[in-house]
Amino acid sequence: MQTHIISLLVEDHPGVLTRMSGMFTMRGINITSLTVSPCEKEGLSRMTVAIDGSESELEKVRKQLSNLIEVVKVVDLKEEKAVIRDLCLMKVHVKDSNARSEVMQLAEAYGAKIANATLDSVIIELTEEPRTIDRFVDLMKHFGIKQLFRTGVTAIGMDTGGGLER
Amino acid sequence: MTREKLKGAEIVVEELKNEGVEVAFGIPGGVLLDLYDVLYKDDVIRHILMRHEQCAAHAADGYARVLGRPGVCIATSGPGATNLVTGLANANMDSSPVVALTGQVPTAAIGSNAFQEASTFTITMPITKHNFLVTRTEDLPKVIHNAFYIANTGRKGVVLVDLPKDVLATRVDVNLHPKETFTGYKPKIKPNPVQIKKTAEVLANAERPLILAGGGVISANATEELRHLAEFLGAPVVTTLMGKGAIPENHPFSLGMAGMHGRIYANRAISECDALLSVGTRFSDRLTGWQLDQFAPEATLIHVDIDAAEINKNLQVDIPLVGDAKLALEEILKWLEKKRTTSPGSVWVQRIREMHSACEECIGDVRREGASISDMLIKEISKVLDDDVIVTTEVGQCQMFAAHYYITKKPRTFISSGGLGTMGFGFPAAIGAKVAAPDKRVVDLAGDGSFLMTCHDLATCVENDIPVVVCIFHNCYLGMVRQWQELFFEKRYSNTGLGTIPDFVRLAEAFGAYGERVEKPEELKDALQNAFESGKPAVLDMIVGQEDKVLPMIPPGGSIVGMIGTERCKPI
Ligand SMILES: Cc1ncc(C[n+]2csc(CCOP(=O)(O)OP(=O)(O)O)c2C)c(N)n1
Ligand SMILES: [Mg+2]
Repeated sequence: MQTHIISLLVEDHPGVLTRMSGMFTMRGINITSLTVSPCEKEGLSRMTVAIDGSESELEKVRKQLSNLIEVVKVVDLKEEKAVIRDLCLMKVHVKDSNARSEVMQLAEAYGAKIANATLDSVIIELTEEPRTIDRFVDLMKHFGIKQLFRTGVTAIGMDTGGGLER
Repeated sequence: MTREKLKGAEIVVEELKNEGVEVAFGIPGGVLLDLYDVLYKDDVIRHILMRHEQCAAHAADGYARVLGRPGVCIATSGPGATNLVTGLANANMDSSPVVALTGQVPTAAIGSNAFQEASTFTITMPITKHNFLVTRTEDLPKVIHNAFYIANTGRKGVVLVDLPKDVLATRVDVNLHPKETFTGYKPKIKPNPVQIKKTAEVLANAERPLILAGGGVISANATEELRHLAEFLGAPVVTTLMGKGAIPENHPFSLGMAGMHGRIYANRAISECDALLSVGTRFSDRLTGWQLDQFAPEATLIHVDIDAAEINKNLQVDIPLVGDAKLALEEILKWLEKKRTTSPGSVWVQRIREMHSACEECIGDVRREGASISDMLIKEISKVLDDDVIVTTEVGQCQMFAAHYYITKKPRTFISSGGLGTMGFGFPAAIGAKVAAPDKRVVDLAGDGSFLMTCHDLATCVENDIPVVVCIFHNCYLGMVRQWQELFFEKRYSNTGLGTIPDFVRLAEAFGAYGERVEKPEELKDALQNAFESGKPAVLDMIVGQEDKVLPMIPPGGSIVGMIGTERCKPI
């Protein structure tokens, strides 16, 4: 088992998301994260899908995704050749000023921003590689995470992968 | 392109005609009144009113398999569409080009649990190659054009178009006959020359080459190319169920169908070959058995398929070759001819001759010792029917008797539910086949259980003068399941007995069809003659042994070398 990131360029039609996710459902593969957004070309969207699975499983899904009529391009993004980011928003409990300054120091060390603060909590925003976020989240658990939101990964290949460019 | 103000329903019919549609099988309903009104006035498209939507889909499927171009079926919203589902899944599994049009509640009512609403779009998504929910009348030309284009190109399949009532009723100014398609849909048909060369080299150097032909060979109209290649190489040909007809089964190089209910010689050839050229097959477990390491263990495996997703899906191969079967076979042959290869060792040629003649002997001898009534009947049928007859089958023992013993001589004359194994398929598929080829005789080789699932469409046959002949292997059982219970569950016949009803002769007569009972194999020839001469749809009630078995077979969990029930096969 390994996390794979698949980047898809698809026609921006209703139903495309269902079709795409159906491919994974059919094979019993769990999607760990999914983002859908506009891309550089009007009428197309980009989907970034993270899944856990074996190499051979991934290969089968990749080919079946390519078969979908509304899928323009499928790219398997290799970790070492892609910029991978996740955006995390979390509300962390700060019971006193000590805790507050510790949280703020750690946030700074991770390059996170304080998006809002109240007397007993701060909202932290961090855009990073998923693993770095995992580590930061673990740290913040010591203080108490009241709410945690993550957008899921989005990723861009360093070479031509995933784009419309040749 | 012409620009006119047309009603949605008129646009649909105009575009259907532009795609060359001549026949549609369907049943109307409330949301389709506009469409049926246009069909009423139209004199190009012949609409055949079916008695169940499942049959409409199977008929369109049968029609498509005979002609090699899309069959069309139509159903109303809700229950009409859900009734289509089995037929569409069946066609899609067997890569048969079918375009289905379904009515839908008005766009404003979608999602409100309106009367006769079902989410046809989401229900049919996993059982179609593609589907559309049309929400604007303006989109109809492009959608209908793409429906046909997608259904009939690449790996063929089913495309469904869901048509809300208001989309059909609205009048718009529109450009007809557009040409635009999807950016992401580019069926790859030209095979890679590097892979062609690799393939040809392996074949040229093989001592014991074998060709395995699947349905893709027939679908790509590549049967001539396949035969040429086999003859040039001196390679025998085995087929899958879907590949029956890819080579004339009386050809000296043909060893018939391989697999679970295949011929022992065909399976033997797979075990013995040292190069296996597989074309247009997906290596289903019905072919390979369940022990993949026993499948062609000595061979370099070559896989030609139009669908890249089939490569290494069920079986890991040595040389993948993605592309159209016809082009690929042509290219391989060209390469081989250029190099003028050495033909395979005479030992292999001798071996094939031996296997082919053993095959002929076992398959052809009607009264071979130990033959059951079912065996005798199917052999007799194969003898009596001429090469042009189109045979369809139901599912069960009847289907496997047909697959094993019926000698198919031409492509598109053996039509069977391969992937889905749908009981009730054969009869409506026969209707579609007869409509596609009115000059040919069409015979459904049926089981009593299967036929009862769709026999109501005898009404369609009689009303529309579609004289197909149904030959029922009447064993009073869901025979195939009973056979498994006999062999693997100590004869505990749980829920497989059908009793002795109905009287199929009187059932036929009640519909105004011809009916006759065949008590002994000797009576069959005359009965078939009577059936054809009646000029009517006909049902022959062939009484067979209740515990007849279709053998040999690969038992569950077994491998291609582990067939049981081989006593009646000539040892080789
Ligand atoms: C729609 C459907 N339901 C159930 C089955 C499972 N099944 C496979 S073969 C078979 C028995 C078929 O009986 P019959 O049509 O009488 O043919 P026979 O095997 O007796 O020749 C059944 C129930 C099926 N293939 N299709
Ligand atoms: Mg039966």
